[in-house]
Amino acid sequence: MVLPVWWRKRIPRYRFVGALCKDCGRIHYPPRNACPYCGSRNLELVPLPRRGVLESYSIVYSVPGDNRLNAPLPIGLIRLENGVRVVAELTDVVPEKLENGIEVEAVIRRIGEDGETGTILYGVKFRPALGRK
Amino acid sequence: MANSENKQVINAGIVGWGAYIPMYRLPTREIARVWGWPEHQYKALNVSHKSVDGPDEDSTTMGYEAAYNALLRSGIDPKMIGAVFFGSESKVYAVKPSATLIAEMIGATPDTMASDLEFACRAGSEGLKASLGLVSSGMVKYALAIGSDTSQAEPGDVLEFTASSGAAAFIVGPRSESAAIVEDTYTYVTDTPDFWRRAEKPYPRHGEGFTGEPAYFTHIIGAVKGLFEKTGLRPEDFDYAIFHQPNGKFPLKVAQRLGFPKEKVLPGLVTPYIGNTYNASALLGLARVLDQAKPGQRILLAPFGSGAGSDAYSIVVTDLVEERQDKAPKVDDYLARSYEIDYALYAKFRRIYVMLPRG
Amino acid sequence: MAYITSVGLVRVNRNYHKSPRDLAFEAASKALEDVKLDTIDYVIVASSLTYLQASQFDLAAYIARELGVHVKSAFTVEAGENSGLAGAEVALNLIRSHAAERVLLVGVDKLTEYISNRTYKMIQAIYDTESDAVYNVGHAGPMALLMRLYMDRYGVDRETLAHWPVMMHAHGKENPYAMLRFAVTPDKVVNAMPIAEPITLLDAYPIGDGAAAVLLSSDDQGGDHLARLTEVYSSIGFQSIALRDDPLSIEAVGQIAREAGLSPDSIDVAEIHDSFTITGILLLEELGFAPRGKAAELVAEGAFTKGGSGPLVNASGGLKARGHPKGATGVYMLAEVAMQLAGTFPGVKADSPRKGIAVGVNAHGSSARLAFLEAL
Repeated sequence: MVLPVWWRKRIPRYRFVGALCKDCGRIHYPPRNACPYCGSRNLELVPLPRRGVLESYSIVYSVPGDNRLNAPLPIGLIRLENGVRVVAELTDVVPEKLENGIEVEAVIRRIGEDGETGTILYGVKFRPALGRK
Repeated sequence: MANSENKQVINAGIVGWGAYIPMYRLPTREIARVWGWPEHQYKALNVSHKSVDGPDEDSTTMGYEAAYNALLRSGIDPKMIGAVFFGSESKVYAVKPSATLIAEMIGATPDTMASDLEFACRAGSEGLKASLGLVSSGMVKYALAIGSDTSQAEPGDVLEFTASSGAAAFIVGPRSESAAIVEDTYTYVTDTPDFWRRAEKPYPRHGEGFTGEPAYFTHIIGAVKGLFEKTGLRPEDFDYAIFHQPNGKFPLKVAQRLGFPKEKVLPGLVTPYIGNTYNASALLGLARVLDQAKPGQRILLAPFGSGAGSDAYSIVVTDLVEERQDKAPKVDDYLARSYEIDYALYAKFRRIYVMLPRG
Repeated sequence: MAYITSVGLVRVNRNYHKSPRDLAFEAASKALEDVKLDTIDYVIVASSLTYLQASQFDLAAYIARELGVHVKSAFTVEAGENSGLAGAEVALNLIRSHAAERVLLVGVDKLTEYISNRTYKMIQAIYDTESDAVYNVGHAGPMALLMRLYMDRYGVDRETLAHWPVMMHAHGKENPYAMLRFAVTPDKVVNAMPIAEPITLLDAYPIGDGAAAVLLSSDDQGGDHLARLTEVYSSIGFQSIALRDDPLSIEAVGQIAREAGLSPDSIDVAEIHDSFTITGILLLEELGFAPRGKAAELVAEGAFTKGGSGPLVNASGGLKARGHPKGATGVYMLAEVAMQLAGTFPGVKADSPRKGIAVGVNAHGSSARLAFLEAL
């Protein structure tokens, strides 16, 4: 049963919140117990900008898991407006129109579910940005 | 007409509004091709395409995005929201609220009310009306009302031409902060079984022609006439008229019978482009009208839900509307973001082929 | 310092008819042919997938008994794809600290027990399951992000990158323990089925099962040995490519390369981790064997094959052609480098090599290890 595993991480995944290290000043996502850069525990949760640029992407054809509902699966390396990077699934993508450098924005989508009768996991994905903020 | 609704000033209005429409579009001609319908069958519906939720979308994710847009327009701190109502007939859990999910996602938890409402296509509107009451009474400062549906239709049923996906959300708050105030409302409800879905069944059933006269027309006309009687307002007092839009034909017909010209209906009529988004149907129309309305304009809103009931609202746009229109994507932005799919992809997205867990 | 006394390898393959214990038994038996079993103190089993695929805890103890050795201790080392060299690190330290005189290191993993998409899901756990692997990125996904970034930044085309698998297949063809023993052309690589664009099937390691065993001994043991294991350098890296200042920099590998004082001239033979073409290319650059953005070009020029200007790299065929049974891979590398240094490798051979390295990483570089070996 993966229920508590998903539940305890829901806030950063729902609200796209990162952690600011008050010692070295760097921000990371998702928030961790210690700063990955300097090891400091002096961290503060901060909302992250929802827009960024696609630095790289891939269309994954050999999709792990039980079915091909989400195949092929686009993923991306995103550089947010504040410079923080995130690896995430992309959504609402027309594969032919994907290219490095396009503007993307964070949305909440289904990430998975615990079988047919289990709970549903929601979290951040990125899609090509809509016209305005 | 006997009147159970008190005539009183509603001390609340719409502080922010938001919409969401998924990008996938299935042409109605494609549905006709697959199921062997003649074009007469769907052309009369005045619906060219229907919006389809993507494989990672559901009524929760769509409702969230509409709520997020409404929050952007309102500019309020989500912690100040004291009630979240989620109206849907395509909840992802039969038991477990979607309202708590969205409340958590937007940051309204834990000091808030939250519940899901069910009244076919009218639950979102009931949420809106309840929100007006809670705010007006002073019990909460702000309330969030959401209508969101990934509507079900049995493959091959005529309902499939129109059952589509979308969401609309409204932050209700003090009159002084409102982009549109609600002057008055009137609700008309009877037990009329025109459309239903039994527990544990995947698809709804309907009474075909019975959904029209005894249900849609009787209830909307009853609600609007009740509002007219209560307020003394007449069709010529309104700049826009928005009705529940199960197809592109009924809203124009009911408008005509109530004495509204077509021009007042068209700005709030989105079904011809995306189909019937059920709980978001009339509310998306309201969002689209607010996207373009000018201060001082008056809007008639009349959602309908099978089973059956209708609410009529008289809404007046305030000076605050214009500064909020560009603070979030508009209905037209979502209408413009469209990608046509065929029935095969639709069937995959909607899991019509196989009912397997989403891995 | 420890000696590598003997090695035993099983050909990587779809060994459907053999269990992890059968494979471990086969590899260990080869390594122990001329060894008195009661001289072994420890059995270390390097494995990452077995506990999922064979539903077995305390694997090392069960395998030790299966081998018929009565050791004082047996334990399993798990470090994802880097398990094999992690096992070597532990073995070396046991011997150096005089806790053990002889350690049998067995690497084993099976990838074919379940259908592929189930196995991919398990393998995905090499990435951070609290960030990148929350999504269904698979093994190839994050590496595909790096490949596209690399091509974009350095203007290296797809065809040039295809020379890595071409070289790996040319080497693997000569190695009797390699899973893939056929040559490929750049054109075939580019046009193979995409698994995570721009990575194609021929950029990726094959799904196969394998086991490798290495017997390590202290100075006092006497007798014949193959090579000396002088050091295992180890480092850990960021949880995700997203956290690196430069996503293309595998900082954990750079760190151990500096510690080891590597230069292309100082090394004669190397086995490096190439789960995908891009992994091999980035490692070549991180180890200082090629300037940034130039590794693929040098590979295409033949710099890392026999007679080339650089060290002989992945004479085994690498993960690409020899195969990549996860936890066992590092043990294969160690055995292959030891055999090169002893002159007994049964494939493409380096010319009288003196120094060799085996370099492994897990995933994108959550950890990295570099084993340094010398000829006797």
